[in-house]
Amino acid sequence: MKNLEELKKIRERVKRDLELRTGKHRIKIVVCLGTCGIAAGARESMNTLIDLIAKSGRSDIIVTTSGCAGFCEQEPMIQVYVEEQEPVVYGKVDTKAAEEIFEKHILNHQIVEKYLFTKGK
Amino acid sequence: MKNIADHLFDILENSVKAKATEIKILIKFKQGKFHCRITDNGTGIKIVDKEVEATDPFVTSRKERRVGLGLPLLKSSAESTKGFFKIYNLKKGGCYLEFTIDLLHIDAKPFGDLAQAILDALVCWPEIDLSLWIEKSNQQKEEIFNSKKLKKVLEIEDLKEKKIRDFLYQLFWENFNQIGINKQFGYFQKI
Repeated sequence: MKNLEELKKIRERVKRDLELRTGKHRIKIVVCLGTCGIAAGARESMNTLIDLIAKSGRSDIIVTTSGCAGFCEQEPMIQVYVEEQEPVVYGKVDTKAAEEIFEKHILNHQIVEKYLFTKGK
Repeated sequence: MKNIADHLFDILENSVKAKATEIKILIKFKQGKFHCRITDNGTGIKIVDKEVEATDPFVTSRKERRVGLGLPLLKSSAESTKGFFKIYNLKKGGCYLEFTIDLLHIDAKPFGDLAQAILDALVCWPEIDLSLWIEKSNQQKEEIFNSKKLKKVLEIEDLKEKKIRDFLYQLFWENFNQIGINKQFGYFQKI
């Protein structure tokens, strides 16, 4: 059976990587996880994003969650906040869309029109 | 909701919204029936008239829109398999929720990835103290996970590391397997 002591060892092993990654967050991705989002499969999109961030090795991107934004028909919905840029809201973000948005918007700052819901505040 | 794990995650979100700081989950699996109890120390449900109202989709305390579907959906999922669903406020504060779902019933939803749901809850709401209990067939209860203990071993930031998440994921599944909850079907015990 696994226990938390083992976890401690794993932590020691990956600690060096973690230390390299602590820095300021410049990009924030908010995933809407209300009842509507969960039902539409937002958890899968969120996990895709978390994995992609880990894979890219970027320390300045953070994923957080929020409740229902009131546009349930657009779920799963994500909001992307890039520093010094207008926030962008994407709708109907499944795992495939999440990959595309990450690739184009998060890494290369190009807005993906296909999934765009609104722009600005 | 696509599966039962989604329902559970949704209920946890309700607790978080109710400003809970501690959530306790107890799960049990017996004769094909999945049983789950959740207690929290949040503000509880707002009872306007009687208990029935919380599960009425048109009764909600939110302001964004006038329907609340989380609890009614779970209620219908449970009751369509001849299971039951109960929710009430505790006297000491907080909320108590209990449901059973008969996984052998033809109308039962797929079980889903329960460990992933709990892990997601940890990642989404790191400030909440989550404790997870299982009840074995001899009615013994065992705590298999407590995020207070986890926080002593590591920082919440560490959950970003895939290796650490994978470890916890496997830890959950090993324990669920103990009480007969299988990754694919929700059960593998002989009934």
